[in-house]
Amino acid sequence: MTIDNSNEEIVRLLKEISGKLDRILMQGSSNIEPENGIFEVLDVMTLLTLPDHLRETATSLFELGSATAEDLAKKTHKERAVESNYLNQLVRMGHVVKNRSGRKVYFSIGEGLGK
Amino acid sequence: MGITIAVHSSKGGSGKTSFAINLAFAYVSEGKNVCLVDADLKAPSLFNYMFPDSERWLNDVLEGRCGIRDAILEVEDTNTLPGSLCVGYCNPEIESVREMSGKDRKWQAKALKNIMNAKKELFSSGTDVLIIDTGPGVDFTSVNAIAAADYVVMVTKPDKSHQKYMEQVIEGIYIPLTKPYGVIMNKCHSNSPMSISGVNESGVPVLASIPCLCDVAIRGDTEVLTISEPDHPFSKAVFTVVGAIDECLSGE
Repeated sequence: MTIDNSNEEIVRLLKEISGKLDRILMQGSSNIEPENGIFEVLDVMTLLTLPDHLRETATSLFELGSATAEDLAKKTHKERAVESNYLNQLVRMGHVVKNRSGRKVYFSIGEGLGK
Repeated sequence: MGITIAVHSSKGGSGKTSFAINLAFAYVSEGKNVCLVDADLKAPSLFNYMFPDSERWLNDVLEGRCGIRDAILEVEDTNTLPGSLCVGYCNPEIESVREMSGKDRKWQAKALKNIMNAKKELFSSGTDVLIIDTGPGVDFTSVNAIAAADYVVMVTKPDKSHQKYMEQVIEGIYIPLTKPYGVIMNKCHSNSPMSISGVNESGVPVLASIPCLCDVAIRGDTEVLTISEPDHPFSKAVFTVVGAIDECLSGE
């Protein structure tokens, strides 16, 4: 295995671990057991079960509709990188989807994508 | 940008709809363009009052079948007032109520998105204040309305069951959703220790305490006290709440 392949494998494993941690975090903050380990939709009751930091990000995204991490950061008064991290956690949970438009990445609340 | 106010109650029978109507007219009398919608999908009530009949419903907006402007009506009786009022109702037909009761979480998530879109549509077309008369308690439709609001007015009664549940709703819904809120103690009796304004023992901000007045209930079906009798104790309490909301939201 080359160094590049090793690095890719490490990144893949880290992403997998991060996703599992998100799910453990979710299950720890809620008695609701998601089907297949993933919440399929971000409704308002699920929103209430999220940890405070993710709930604030998700609530702000509901209000903005589609937004970049920078848009969110302006609304929540946090660092852009912090909001980007939270948004990507929500993406991994299946609550938020992201789409690239040119050089910008826009996030929006998902509609039961379950991925 | 306009403001959205959810008028909510922890339990039914608190006088929430009467308060919402009078709050709407209080803003109209101050020159605001107001939209008042009944979001109690399971027990619609606003259509019972003095507003025009409609065959267009908020249900269609929540389903994504039409925009909010297609589902509201202008109240022409407000022509003599400085502002304007539009109203929107839930479909009171039992088939529709039954259908709404069976909606799943995915539908509710889309309904919240449609509410947020409705807000944008209203504010971009000149509405200053959107007042949502929610259902009581903690079900999807009422919590969706709270999530969409900038401020929550909880109308409650000073009895123990209302008080206990009120605190749970505040702790479990308003605070996690970071919604500023104020409580109206309605139908108070002079000998009740809970009939006070200010901050109560639990730290809950009580914006106004309204005495239990029979004429409010009797006259409420046919007249709006904030217009017909602005010096009435009920009307004064409503105007106090308008001031408190404006102060809270302008300070943010």
